[in-house]
Amino acid sequence: MFFIRELEKTITLHPSYFGPHMRDYLIHKLHDDVEGSCTGQFFIICVIDHEQISPGKIIPGRGDAEFTIHYKAIVYRPFRGETVDAVVTSVNKMGFFAEVGALQCFVSKQAIPSEIPFDETANPPQYSDGGEQVINKGAHVRMKLVGIRSDVGKMYATASIKEDYLGVL
Amino acid sequence: MSSDPIHDNFDSEEDDGDFDADANTSRDKPQEDGEPATNALDGEVDEEEEEEDEEDEEEEEEEDEDVPARKRRRKLNHFFDDEAEVDDDDEEVDEEEEEGFIADEELPELNDHHEYREEHRHRELDRQNEQRQAEDMEAIAEELSRRHGRSRRGRGADSGLVPRRLLLPSVQDPNIWGVKCKVGKEKEIIFNIWQRMEKNENTKHPLPIVSVFEREAMPGYIYVEAYKQSDVMEALEGVQMVYPRGTKILVPIKEMPDLLNVVKSAEIVPGTWVRFKRGKYQGDLAQVENVLSNGLEVRIRAVPRLDYGNNLDRARENGPPLAPGEKRKRNNFKSNTAVGRPPQRLFSEIEATKNHSKLLSKGTASNGGSKNFTYAGEEYEDGYLVKDVRLNLIITENVNPTLEEVTKFATTVDEGAESLDLNALAQSLKTSSSTYQVGDTVEVYDGEQQGIVGKAVSVHNGVVTMDVIEGDLKGKRVDVPFKGLRKRFREGDQVKVTGGKYRDESGTVVRIVEDKVTIVIGEGEDMNEVTVFSKDLREATEGGFATSSKYDLHDLVQLDQLTVGCVIKVDKASVRVLDQNGDARTVIPSQIVDKVTRRNAVATDRNGSEIRIGDTVKEIAGNTRSGVVLHIYRAFVFLHNREMNDNAGVFVCRASNLATIVAKGGRVQQSTGPDLSKMNPAMLRNGASGGNMMPPPARVGGRDKTIGQTVTVRMGEYKGLLGIIKDATDSTARVELHTKSKTITIDKMKLGFRDSITGAIKTYQEFVRPGGGRGDGGSSFSRTPGGATPSWSGGSRTPQIDYSGSRTPAWMAGGGNRTPAWMANAEGGRTPAYVSGGKTPAWGADGGRSVYSGNRTPAWNPSSRTPYIADSERSAWDAGSKTPARPSGLESWGQDSGNSSTTARTPGAYNAASPEFMAPPYGKEFSAPTPGGAMSAPTPSAPTPGPISAPTPAAWGADTAPTPGAIGGGYGRGGAYPNTPGAWGADDDQ
Repeated sequence: MFFIRELEKTITLHPSYFGPHMRDYLIHKLHDDVEGSCTGQFFIICVIDHEQISPGKIIPGRGDAEFTIHYKAIVYRPFRGETVDAVVTSVNKMGFFAEVGALQCFVSKQAIPSEIPFDETANPPQYSDGGEQVINKGAHVRMKLVGIRSDVGKMYATASIKEDYLGVL
Repeated sequence: MSSDPIHDNFDSEEDDGDFDADANTSRDKPQEDGEPATNALDGEVDEEEEEEDEEDEEEEEEEDEDVPARKRRRKLNHFFDDEAEVDDDDEEVDEEEEEGFIADEELPELNDHHEYREEHRHRELDRQNEQRQAEDMEAIAEELSRRHGRSRRGRGADSGLVPRRLLLPSVQDPNIWGVKCKVGKEKEIIFNIWQRMEKNENTKHPLPIVSVFEREAMPGYIYVEAYKQSDVMEALEGVQMVYPRGTKILVPIKEMPDLLNVVKSAEIVPGTWVRFKRGKYQGDLAQVENVLSNGLEVRIRAVPRLDYGNNLDRARENGPPLAPGEKRKRNNFKSNTAVGRPPQRLFSEIEATKNHSKLLSKGTASNGGSKNFTYAGEEYEDGYLVKDVRLNLIITENVNPTLEEVTKFATTVDEGAESLDLNALAQSLKTSSSTYQVGDTVEVYDGEQQGIVGKAVSVHNGVVTMDVIEGDLKGKRVDVPFKGLRKRFREGDQVKVTGGKYRDESGTVVRIVEDKVTIVIGEGEDMNEVTVFSKDLREATEGGFATSSKYDLHDLVQLDQLTVGCVIKVDKASVRVLDQNGDARTVIPSQIVDKVTRRNAVATDRNGSEIRIGDTVKEIAGNTRSGVVLHIYRAFVFLHNREMNDNAGVFVCRASNLATIVAKGGRVQQSTGPDLSKMNPAMLRNGASGGNMMPPPARVGGRDKTIGQTVTVRMGEYKGLLGIIKDATDSTARVELHTKSKTITIDKMKLGFRDSITGAIKTYQEFVRPGGGRGDGGSSFSRTPGGATPSWSGGSRTPQIDYSGSRTPAWMAGGGNRTPAWMANAEGGRTPAYVSGGKTPAWGADGGRSVYSGNRTPAWNPSSRTPYIADSERSAWDAGSKTPARPSGLESWGQDSGNSSTTARTPGAYNAASPEFMAPPYGKEFSAPTPGGAMSAPTPSAPTPGPISAPTPAAWGADTAPTPGAIGGGYGRGGAYPNTPGAWGADDDQ
């Protein structure tokens, strides 16, 4: 789910950057650093507002200055049980991988209805029921997240399509 | 007797019932004077002699209870002879029943004072009597309990009410001596002693010992309980096979309970693993199939050790005429059948038929069909030996089967890997101590509390205390035994296997059926599904799994001095690596010399651009595979492509066969902005270039440009001579002179390079770094270095200039003599060279500065890059165009591209390009968004793709499009922007 969230970021600036463009540097840096990053809880999609940049504080003994920027960002946080649309990125006999934006999902064979078996002979390998439901690379799939694993700076999800209204779109 | 306190205790408890009952009945009677039950006492003494200790309490009771009873009697005649009352106690109940009536009658009588007084005196006397006698009785009681205490103690021990600790032996109890005897004859000896004891029991000299016993755990000893050591001697005098004269071990009091402790033998259920104690199968693992109804024998299944008559002796032993078996077996024991026995192999029908078809018979249909055989008197089922054995021939404790042993049973019993694993796991489960840990989420699936889910808060002695989080008892804390408990997981949980074959693997739960959990382990191609018991799983801590192996997937390891490999699969005991020659092999960790950790390795691709770890590159020839660089080792590059199946997506290539596709994922990002925690590169550059000779260009690789040039020697011995450079190093050149047939080695600085078009002579510096050309042309256009320089030194125009203002003279001074030359030599022909040199920064450092600084302000604004911010690229450019340099540049560019004369082009291209050209270097160093954006991730909203993308390819493509014409042409067509990306793409493909 997408949220607008207020966040905070501390940036250290070398003294050589002190000057009229300091603000630009900082904002640029902020965008560079946080956009597309993952905190382990959510993905920061984009920064939409810089609320406030604190006055810089010189770090004793170094001369660098530290700025705290409060900003608003659109974040994406996946939830267990959330239904999402995803694009399949790879298929193998254990299941398939799909991407929901920045989030990598894995759908195990156990979570695929048995009517859609794995077809190893097909090229590229795919899950298909022989009819119109074909899950191969690039397919669009609606799935339900069943588990989310967070790591430092990474998130993975496990999803299922073994329910009504889920599956190939 | 130490047991006295125990005893008393016990008695009082036992009597409580009576006591209460009596108390109740007596409560009805208000007279507390309670006449002394004088008369009763005599009789009671007798009773006490029988009932002994109970006496104390009864005395008290009787004082109460006797009040009404005796009163009644007294009413009749209280001088009656005592003898008559002896039986009273036995009939108490009856009497008490009657009491009700009598009491009513009594009451008026009691009110009669006179009579009461009289009675009172008598009672007084009685009481005194009683007291005197009570003292005596205490003495008697003591005497009695001393004499018979021991046997009574036995009675006490039967009671479950006595606290166990009070039953433990103390110093006053008899001691236990361990006496050596002949091993194996313990029971016989005990029996002898027992007989003796019985015989002497009622004689003058009974055996003075208390008990005698033996423990199976302590062969060669019998234990005698007695008060004195001499008693032991006396009792064992003349008993066969026991050696009381040897050392006798006095068992310490503390150890007595241990000695007599009975260990409850583990319950044998079908499926338990056992081992043979002796015989041919000694030590072999067997599985209990069934426990026979008598409870003493079990039917077990084992892997047979048969030689099918190849060793005739043994075959005969195994043969059916085993009737006189007893003797035979003993011989077997002596020869130790465990040595030299045939190996464990499943029963083979073919082998058996070969030698002993007579002894072989097929099983009947009733016991399972064709796979069952009887061979040499033993039954074989599915290849296993099935046998009924007595319990004492097998070991049931500490069996600890190994996985190998268990596998022998599992593989063929149940086909399919899953059941095998479960069997193995079930076993490991039995041996592991506690599978539950504090913090585990557990579920009760059996018993009263079925269905509740909780979090374990403490685990001890097979009981889990948990806080209930789901179910009826929510919020309560309950204790649940392990049995009936299982860990609870949810699909998608990240778990780690803590026991069994897959120990230490971690994966994701994909299916849960009761307590069997299917998890997916591994990554990519190694992915695998395994099913394990939930008991063997733990929720993995978020992030960071401790791996058992020293090496991780994709590590670069040194295999020997010349070979390295990239780890493509990590197993528990081995590692699969792909070596630099592209061969995959499995090695054990000890074969690996070390892990290679060089994160900063750099190689150059076939186009001469550098490749770093993390770049995305593509193979030029062959399969044109692309991948991300994992490792660089000398000329070899290990790449990884997730979509490839073999070798876990890892493959190896020579660096020279690669071309960079994506402009180095990692570095593009880095270059989008300066590192704000380091020195500002803009300033750094100003400082560095000012006052110093420009360093010679770093060679980018490829042929030295000077080779093949016609040069004149400008100084030294050969001054003035013309020649051609045949070979060159960084600083020197080998020049073949035209005049003398001689080749000389000379410093490049001493050479003058003749321009092929104009014929002008240039220094080496100018030749390789022809950027100076700009200066010349620049003066004729508004954007000249000349123009820039003053304004720049004026320092008032842009902040950038302000900054470096102080450096100006130095710079001027340092570069002073160079500048004119530079400008003088401006030539169209060189423009591309300059571009191609990739010296953008250097170039920027020189004359371009005014433009650069002018440019920067608008372009810099980072917001212009991002689509969601209102500023558009266009406006950024517009803003930029406010600096004088810029519009002129644009215009001239437009014009020039039309007039394509050489001379016109040079400055034109130059000038025209400059705004754009500025941009790339600028972008590179300052993260100017323009080129970065254009290159790496084409931001959708960039409104003016033309100006941005056009220069970018030019700048980048410069490498491969060195002629000015090409560039000019590009720009000339430049109106047609679509071409440009195409051109760029083409470059890259090369």
